[in-house]
Amino acid sequence: MASTIDQHKASFLEALQTSAAEGSSARTQAREALETLEVPTRKWEDWKYTQVRDLLKASYTTSGLAVESTEGFLIPDLEGDVLVFVNGRFSPALSTFGSNGDNMHIAPMGHLSELLSGVVDTHLGELISDSNIFTATNTAYADQGVVIFVPNGKIAEHPIQIIHINHPGAEALASQHRNLFVVGKHAVAKVAETYFSIGEGTSFRNQVDELIVLDNGELEYVKIENESDQASIMGHTYGHLGRDSKIRMFTLTFSGELVRNNLHLKLAGENVNAQLNGVYLIDGSQHVDNYTKVDHAEPHCYSNELYKGIITGSATGVFSGYIHVWPDAQKTNAFQSNRNILLSDNANMYTKPQLEIYADDVKCSHGATTGRIDEGAIFYLRARGIPELEAQKMMIHAFTMETVESLSMEPVLAYIEEKITGRF
Amino acid sequence: MLSINNLHASVEGKEILKGLSLEIKPGEVHAIMGPNGSGKSTLASVLAGKEDYEITDGEVLFHGKDLLDLAPEERAGEGLFLAFQYPVEIPGVSMTNFLRTAVNSVREYRGQEVLSGGDFLKLMREKQAIVELDANLTKRSVNEGFSGGEKKRAEIFQMAMLEPTLSILDETDSGLDIDALRIVSEAVNKLRSPERSWLVITHYQRLLDHIVPDFVHVLYKGKIVKSGGKELALELEEKGYDWLKELNPA
Ligand SMILES: Nc1ncnc2c1ncn2[C@@H]1O[C@H](COP(=O)(O)OP(=O)(O)OP(=O)(O)O)[C@@H](O)[C@H]1O
Ligand SMILES: [Mg+2]
Repeated sequence: MASTIDQHKASFLEALQTSAAEGSSARTQAREALETLEVPTRKWEDWKYTQVRDLLKASYTTSGLAVESTEGFLIPDLEGDVLVFVNGRFSPALSTFGSNGDNMHIAPMGHLSELLSGVVDTHLGELISDSNIFTATNTAYADQGVVIFVPNGKIAEHPIQIIHINHPGAEALASQHRNLFVVGKHAVAKVAETYFSIGEGTSFRNQVDELIVLDNGELEYVKIENESDQASIMGHTYGHLGRDSKIRMFTLTFSGELVRNNLHLKLAGENVNAQLNGVYLIDGSQHVDNYTKVDHAEPHCYSNELYKGIITGSATGVFSGYIHVWPDAQKTNAFQSNRNILLSDNANMYTKPQLEIYADDVKCSHGATTGRIDEGAIFYLRARGIPELEAQKMMIHAFTMETVESLSMEPVLAYIEEKITGRF
Repeated sequence: MLSINNLHASVEGKEILKGLSLEIKPGEVHAIMGPNGSGKSTLASVLAGKEDYEITDGEVLFHGKDLLDLAPEERAGEGLFLAFQYPVEIPGVSMTNFLRTAVNSVREYRGQEVLSGGDFLKLMREKQAIVELDANLTKRSVNEGFSGGEKKRAEIFQMAMLEPTLSILDETDSGLDIDALRIVSEAVNKLRSPERSWLVITHYQRLLDHIVPDFVHVLYKGKIVKSGGKELALELEEKGYDWLKELNPA
């Protein structure tokens, strides 16, 4: 007899099953794998602080209510492509893309050119080294997403904005999304992906991103998770970085009943420069788990990871930072830092650094702090006439801005700044 | 303007202010002297609204309002200013942004129009000149990495920006060299008017040569035990505080 969890798994898969995503062998393999893959439990080391079982419990529908416009959802002054997904489905009416001309091939899944189909056939699923039920479900059935290919030597100057708007009705809404970005040699791409929801309905999004940056390529990728507190996100992002390449990742999380952002970067060539930053500002009973893994496979690479959290209410933040330095990866520089401020007595933060270093000539460091807001500073500001809430905003701004300094998309930076100071 | 009556304040169950009374009228300069740990900074903090202290008895009226009932930011709006003995460093908050927010907050409280960016910068340049503050300091984070003297000067600069009616200077002279002391004192003297008052906490007569007080008080074990004119400060400098022990045995 099937256990309850197996039944949940079966109905979850049934809800997300699509027939459209036929084809590649990766999809077929993932479907097969799903038969045996189990739902993670808190006994699994990587899932120790986050209970995902409940995500499978709801009975999901894949359709939601209409969204007529992107008003209020666009990043002001960010000029470039806009691809909008409503309730998980690509909306041609709300989207415009192609601003980079020949410098970038881009299309939503379901509208792929022959060239982009080829990219999918070659690379889809390639980076998923540690398949689990969520990634496999995504590979098997996700028929929505964005495929980007920047040919060698092309600078795609205009940023790509991917906007998700969920408008769940009475029934819980489930959606899947798959991104595949391939940035060629000496090529540059910039992407800002934002997540919103309308109304108070429940939703669950299962997303997988694969990022391939070839030698001396450069990718900036920002995610802003700004849905309602009834929204849950399971995100897996994999990056494969070639020699001399650069990546700047930034993840901002406001929303979510349960959010898990997995980020796994493999520094697969010499002299890679990787910046992985994030900020989470959470309250109520939110649970936000950032799980990061940086694989230093080659010498002379640099990775720097800075995650900062402000947690209030009875919310829970989790940060796991795994740095793995392979035996050949001499002259590695790998830094990691997780700093948190708890604004309430019931707020929780779990930080778990994990360093495994198999090379001897490396510089690695990690640090974690969780504390209170500096009351002395708040008093100083108030004594100068600044109202308490404003003083707190200034302190939160001061605390977090360091994480976005390296972003090159100015409008995105300004947007993040505004979002952060407006959060509490 | 300020009327303190039988003020008792404790911290962590320990009574620090033990029935302190003081009356400051518009235009007056009062100096408070007294040995280390006598409660001078505690008085300043209580007046500015620091929450660590429990007021167990007494009252404070400021411009006729119950001061102890106001939030720190409201006290600033009402015209109270404290130049801290130890100004805190606030990394990541730029001095300019901090001052603009502060000035506009008190202006709003006082029902004045918020300053435009241009007017604010003009005001800042003007007041900066008064305390001869290095313009580079306003580009940095609040007090971050400032030298001891720079911090004190920056406090007086903030005072000039916020135009308070009562300024409490808590050992603003400590850590200042002779030139800085003169500049800071001149800045205070320039601001003196029949409406503005000062409460100057100091250990040294030399500050009071520049900012001449109308009254000098000696604070000892949480109470004012002696008051007099400016000559009292000279007397204290000469005699020290040993005589207090006989006057008021613990
Ligand atoms: N937050 C606090 N917690 C515990 N004790 C305190 C606190 N604040 C002040 N005190 C104590 O209260 C007493 C008075 O301190 P206060 O700082 O007011 O003295 P002061 O007169 O300003 O001394 P100084 O001349 O050294 O500046 C001291 O014994 C001090 O240790
Ligand atoms: Mg003191």
